[in-house]
Amino acid sequence: MLKLLAAALITSAAMIGTIRFADADPVTITFRFNDTEQEVRGAIDAFEKQNPNIKVDLQRIGWKDARNQFLREAAVGQGPDVAHVAQVWVTEMGDAGATLALDDLIRKDPPPNGFADFAAQDLAKGKDGHIYGLPWTTDTWAMVYRTDLLKEAGIESLPTTWEDIRKDSEAVYKKTGKTGFGFPAGSSASGAMWFLANFYWWSHGKELIVQKPDGSYAIGLTLEDVTESMNYYKKFMDEGDNPRPNLAASDAHDPAIMQALITGNQAMGAMPPNTFKEALKAYEDANPGKPAPFASGPFPHQNNTKSSMIGGRMLVINANSKHPDAAWKFVKFMASQSVFADYYRTQFPAQTSLLKQIDFGAPLKGFADQFPYARTWGAYASGPVPIGTLWNVTQRAFGKALSGQQSTENAAKELLAEIGKQMP
Amino acid sequence: MRERLFIVTMLLPAMVLLVLFYGYPIFDNLRISFTDLSLLGMKKGGNWVGLANYRELFHRGDFGHILFNTFVWLTATSVLLRLLMGLGIAVLLNTRAMKKLRLASVARFALLIPWATPPIVAVVIWRFLLERNGVVNETLMRLNIISQPIAFLADMRAVWPSIVAIMLWNTVPLIALSLLSSLQTVPEEYYEAAELDGATNWQVFRFVTLPFLMPAILVLGLMSVFWSFNNFVYVWLATGAGPGTFTNVLATEVYLKGFVDFRLGYSSAIGMMMAIIMGAFGILYLRLVARQQLEETL
Repeated sequence: MLKLLAAALITSAAMIGTIRFADADPVTITFRFNDTEQEVRGAIDAFEKQNPNIKVDLQRIGWKDARNQFLREAAVGQGPDVAHVAQVWVTEMGDAGATLALDDLIRKDPPPNGFADFAAQDLAKGKDGHIYGLPWTTDTWAMVYRTDLLKEAGIESLPTTWEDIRKDSEAVYKKTGKTGFGFPAGSSASGAMWFLANFYWWSHGKELIVQKPDGSYAIGLTLEDVTESMNYYKKFMDEGDNPRPNLAASDAHDPAIMQALITGNQAMGAMPPNTFKEALKAYEDANPGKPAPFASGPFPHQNNTKSSMIGGRMLVINANSKHPDAAWKFVKFMASQSVFADYYRTQFPAQTSLLKQIDFGAPLKGFADQFPYARTWGAYASGPVPIGTLWNVTQRAFGKALSGQQSTENAAKELLAEIGKQMP
Repeated sequence: MRERLFIVTMLLPAMVLLVLFYGYPIFDNLRISFTDLSLLGMKKGGNWVGLANYRELFHRGDFGHILFNTFVWLTATSVLLRLLMGLGIAVLLNTRAMKKLRLASVARFALLIPWATPPIVAVVIWRFLLERNGVVNETLMRLNIISQPIAFLADMRAVWPSIVAIMLWNTVPLIALSLLSSLQTVPEEYYEAAELDGATNWQVFRFVTLPFLMPAILVLGLMSVFWSFNNFVYVWLATGAGPGTFTNVLATEVYLKGFVDFRLGYSSAIGMMMAIIMGAFGILYLRLVARQQLEETL
C-alpha cells in the first residue's frame, strides 16, 4: 500500500512538474506583416511582455507578393502562424483551405464587443459560412484637397458632384497652371484606377458584379456605363489637368502625386487615410508651425448610394499553425483598443466601437463623412471571378483607354468580354 | 565494352542528378499546362483539360501583340543594340589613343558600375530619372529640345525605347567588357601586317579584328537572346506591362495569368511555349549560324 501511495505521489509530482514546465515553455509564433516594422514593433513587444510564454517572430513581405507567397506556403503545410492580409483575400483563402476557421476560437474567447462589432464581416467569411479572418483595420478612401490652390482658382467650397470635380480640376489647371485632380492612372495589376472606377459606378447606383436574388452572379454594368466612366476620367488626361506622366503612377502614394500635393503643385487627390496622414506629416515637417492647407471630403454620392469602400486589412491564422490558441491570443491583442491608441496609429481600427472613439481632426473630417457612404466589396469577393482578376482586367482596360491605346468604347467592350468569359 | 560500362556507371549519378534537377520541373510544368490548376486549388490539384490552355493561348486576340513585343522590342532590338554598343565601346577602349591617355582603365572601371547594379535598382533609378520632374526631362527642356515633359514610361511613343534604354544601360557593360577581353587576345603582329599592306581602318576591323571576336559575339548573342526573351524584371518594374497592355510580353503574361488570375495551368502553357521557342531558336542558331561561323573562324 505504501509502495502504491509512493508511486502515486511520484506520478502526481511528475505530472505537476510537466504541467509547470509546459506553462513555462515558450511558444514561438510567426507573424507576417506587410507594412513597416516600426508600425507594429511596439505592439509586439507589449504583447510579449504581457504573455511571456509566447514569443512572436515578425516576418515582413511586400503587399505585392503577400497573397501568392502565403497561398503557396499554406498549400504545402508551411507559412506563418498569423498573416496580415487584404480584406478581399480572406474568402478565397478560406475556401482554398489555407486559413483556419475562427468560429470556435471566437466562441470560446470572443473579442471585447463580439464579432458583430467589426466592419466587413461578410468578407471575413468563406463560402461555407465559417469565419476565416478577423477584420483589423479600415482604410476607406476619400478625396483630399489643397485649400490654398482651390482658393487661388476661385473655388470657395469643396466639390460635391462628379461634374464639380471635373470643373474645379479644369479651373485649377487653367488659372494656376498646376495639376487639378491628379490621380494615379497607371495600369498595373494592383493599381488605384480600380478604386476610382468602382467609386464612380457605385455612386451612380451601379456595380461591376452583382448577386441576383437566386444567389447567382452577373455583371451589373452595361457597355455605356463602363464607356461613360472611362470618358469621365479620360477628360482629365486629355485636357492636361492630370498630367500624362501620371499614366505611369499606379498607387495613391506614388511619390509624384504625394510630392505634388505636399509642395502645392496639385490641388486634388484621392487616397486612404493613412496616406493622407503621411502627406500631412510631410507638409508639417517641411513647414513647421504653419497650418496645413488641406481638407478632405467624400466622393460624390447620392443619398442612397455609396461611393467608397470599407477597405482594409484582416488577420488570419494559417490552417497549418501548430499553435492556434497562441495565434488567436495574438490576433485578439492586435485588434485591441490599446494597440490602436498606443502603437499602431497610422491605421484606423475595424471595430465600430473603437472607430466612434476616434477624433478624426479637421483635415480628416472628410474620411469620417465618407464612412456612412462606404461599402464592402460584397459580391465582388464572394463571386466566381477572383477579385485580383477583376482588378487587373479593369486596370488594363482603363489603362488602354486613358493612354489612347484603344478607344474608350473598345476598351470597355474588352473589359466586359474578359470578365464575361470567366462568369459561369 | 567494359570500359564503356565503367564510363556509364561513373556518369550515371551525375546524369540522374541532372534529370532530377532540370527534367523534373520541366515535366511537371508540362503536366500542369494540361490542367486547370489554380493557385487557390493547389491542395486539391487541377483537372486534366488536355490542350485547352494551348488552344486558348493561340486564339487570344492579343497574342500577336504580346509575341511582337517579346520578339521585336524585348529581344531583337535590345540584343542587336546591346551587341553593337558593346562592340563599339570595346573597340573604343582598345584604341591606342585611349591607352595612351590612360583612359582605358578608368572607362573599364566606370563600366563596372552599371553592370554591378542589380536590375531592380537600375529600374528604380531610371524611373526617377525619367519621371516628369526627372533629370532627363529637365535637361531636355533646358536645352529647348522639348517644351513639355515627356511621360517616358507611359507615353506609347516613348515607352519601349525607354525600357530598351534601361536594359542597355544595365547590360551593355558586360558585352563590352567581354568583347574587350577578346580584343586583347588579337596578336599585335596582325595589325602591323595589315598596316604594312596598306589596309584601311575598316578593312583592319573587318578582316583582322572581327574574325577574332566572332566566337565571343556568337556566344554573347545567344546568351543575350535567352536573357532578353525570358526577361520579366525590366518590363514589370518599369511599366507593369502598361500603359494598358502596351508593353506586355510573354514573361509578364506568365506572371499575370499565374499570380494575378491564379491560372497556373494556363500560365504553365505560356511557359512551355516560351521554352519551346527558345529551345528551337537555340538549336537553329547553333546549327545554322554558330557552327558555320565557328568552323570558318577556327
